[in-house]
Amino acid sequence: MDLLHFARGLGLQIAIAIFCLGVTWRIASFALLRIRREYSRPRESILKYMLGGLITVGSRSWPHREFIGRTGAGEALGYSYHLGLFAVVLLFTPHILFLQSLFGFGWRGLPSSVITILSVITLTLFLAVLFRRVTNKVMRLLSNFDDYFSWFITMLVMATGLAATAHVGGPYETLLALHILSVDVLLIWFPFGKLMHAFYIFPSRAINGALLARKGATS
Amino acid sequence: MQPLADELAVGDMLRQNGVSRRRFIKYCTGVASAMALPPWMGPAMAQQLQNAPRPSVIYLSFQECTGCFESFTRSFSPTMESLIFNVISLDYDDTLMAAAGEQAESALAKAMHDNYGKYVLIIDGSVPTGAGGGYCTSGGKSAVDTLREAAQGAAAIVCVGTCSSFGGIPFADPNPTDAWPVSAIVANKPIINVSGCPPIPEVITGTLLQYVTTGKVPDLDEHLRPKAFFGTTIHDRCYRRSFYDQGKFAKTFDDEGARNGWCLYELGCKGPTTYNACATTKWNGGTSFPIESGHGCIGCSEPGFWDKGSLYSPLSATDWGKAGESSPRQVLELAAGGIVAGAALGVVSAGSGRLRQYRSEHPLDIDAEEG
Amino acid sequence: MSRLSEISVRIEAPTRLGGLGGGVAAVLSELVDMLEKVAHGGEAATIDLRSLPMSPEDRSALQSALGHGEVQATLRADGVSTLQETGISGLWWIEHRDARGELIAELLEVATTPAILAASTEDMVAASRALRSRLEVTHSAAARMTHATLS
Repeated sequence: MDLLHFARGLGLQIAIAIFCLGVTWRIASFALLRIRREYSRPRESILKYMLGGLITVGSRSWPHREFIGRTGAGEALGYSYHLGLFAVVLLFTPHILFLQSLFGFGWRGLPSSVITILSVITLTLFLAVLFRRVTNKVMRLLSNFDDYFSWFITMLVMATGLAATAHVGGPYETLLALHILSVDVLLIWFPFGKLMHAFYIFPSRAINGALLARKGATS
Repeated sequence: MQPLADELAVGDMLRQNGVSRRRFIKYCTGVASAMALPPWMGPAMAQQLQNAPRPSVIYLSFQECTGCFESFTRSFSPTMESLIFNVISLDYDDTLMAAAGEQAESALAKAMHDNYGKYVLIIDGSVPTGAGGGYCTSGGKSAVDTLREAAQGAAAIVCVGTCSSFGGIPFADPNPTDAWPVSAIVANKPIINVSGCPPIPEVITGTLLQYVTTGKVPDLDEHLRPKAFFGTTIHDRCYRRSFYDQGKFAKTFDDEGARNGWCLYELGCKGPTTYNACATTKWNGGTSFPIESGHGCIGCSEPGFWDKGSLYSPLSATDWGKAGESSPRQVLELAAGGIVAGAALGVVSAGSGRLRQYRSEHPLDIDAEEG
Repeated sequence: MSRLSEISVRIEAPTRLGGLGGGVAAVLSELVDMLEKVAHGGEAATIDLRSLPMSPEDRSALQSALGHGEVQATLRADGVSTLQETGISGLWWIEHRDARGELIAELLEVATTPAILAASTEDMVAASRALRSRLEVTHSAAARMTHATLS
């Protein structure tokens, strides 16, 4: 069984299964915990503070005015590469066809040359992000294996994808196999590292926002 | 007295057939150019063959559909390719020869004996080993035995077609006859795989001519295919490449995009992973090739291409073996399985989490317990 | 009396070969070296144009740059081949076509004459034998006739 066949076949099946298993496990392990009883008097009605929670999910996406000076650059960098990643993953026709084979429906993509430009920009931003993490003293102190590996595996997916489309660095089927294999590894790693923020941000912000709203505050 | 046909050197043979030296040089120049060999090789080949005795060639067909042989003989300009039959001494070929039965078999035995160690063995068709080799027999002998015997005295073996090179369609799942490619059965002999279903006629004759004139096996890739013809992918030389780069794909056959000649990636074209000369040498004397005619490449010169998923599912789609492309239902089942297992693990984790929560809220109880 | 400046003269600038694609220009400088070698008795050399990545514009630019010389030869052997001496003496542009007119090879040969034009000695030997036997037949036929007339 050659590498490409494995990557797209059994490898992918294992990755999807582990991804679903891992995500469910991690979400269930906090969702099934007992909610700590709040002893303070609610300042707002239930409906109001639940709404507050929902609003927080959105409002946390923009930094407070006071902090923009210090965090603005990092946030802009982060948003940019997230947008780039989403565009490349969801709007590149071969990817759309892949998702179509998984889910049964597809959509129109962008011209491939545009996607290539976006990928190169995103990859550059990614390198900038690592540079920042390594040169900033505080960040360097705080960074652990999770941070570096999550960065590495996402970067590998992008780099192998670019290499495959450009047909550079080896025979095409090997490049494609490496790209799909790195996606498999990403899917397997996803639930066990900081990439879970993709799922966590929603309950995290909502719960914090709701609790604070219950106390009559905003965050 | 004129020497017998068998004993004539190639040059004399050609002259006897009214082929002037110039005509032969021109032919060899064309072949050298087609094979991307240095231009001096054309006249050098012609010179080499001039005085060379015609090498004996034995063509054995096993579990095949004869498409490869048809391709071999169905050359575009018959005069050119039929020259091959003047350049070589085709001592055995069951499709072409007039002899039959025991006469044919004794011709084979004689050719193998007289040219032992020097003949070129051409094979098409895969070799079944199931039922003691009984799925393919000729004259009471199984293909696998015939192959083993013929391979012993061969100088080199040229496998024509994907069946003899990689097993081809008989080898595809479930392989009921337990078929194998020649390279799985014969060891210790130089093997050249000219794969394709069928291979392009000029690729077959060009490879043969090059081997016969130089006496050396050409540069081969990791699948033993001549790099001169199998060194690049269809995608690398496809005239529709600009459409691929722009992301202009035909969505269905005969839609707007298809009629405008857009890339056939979405319709399952395997061009990017297929190595062959179709996009440059083309078929029917350079008339066209599948993509130019509007159908995606099926990857017919690659090992195991019959088992690599649907011919019409794009390369980026999943390839889940027997079923080919995955169905959303399969994905759902896989996800459901993962979710259920994850939920179970989550319950266990949450259980231990709750225990921790309880203990942290009731420290005195625990002390009392242990007390 | 007209002045020099009034005589209509059109000065044709030599076509700049440097304006062609990089690969083509490199090959041409290689050909210049080959020409010098062959002129001093070296072996003829050939370049396969199929091996040069040329756009159609490059190709026609090359053709017009090289121009036509004094000799054009047609070879009829399984289709027509044309051997055109270019404006560069000793540089021949050879197109081999098969019986259906399809281009099977396109070469640039540097030689005093393209090698394929020369008759081969083996062909000549065989031809002389054939001619001799034809002469003998004619001879004996003539002898028989004379004999018949005389007798």
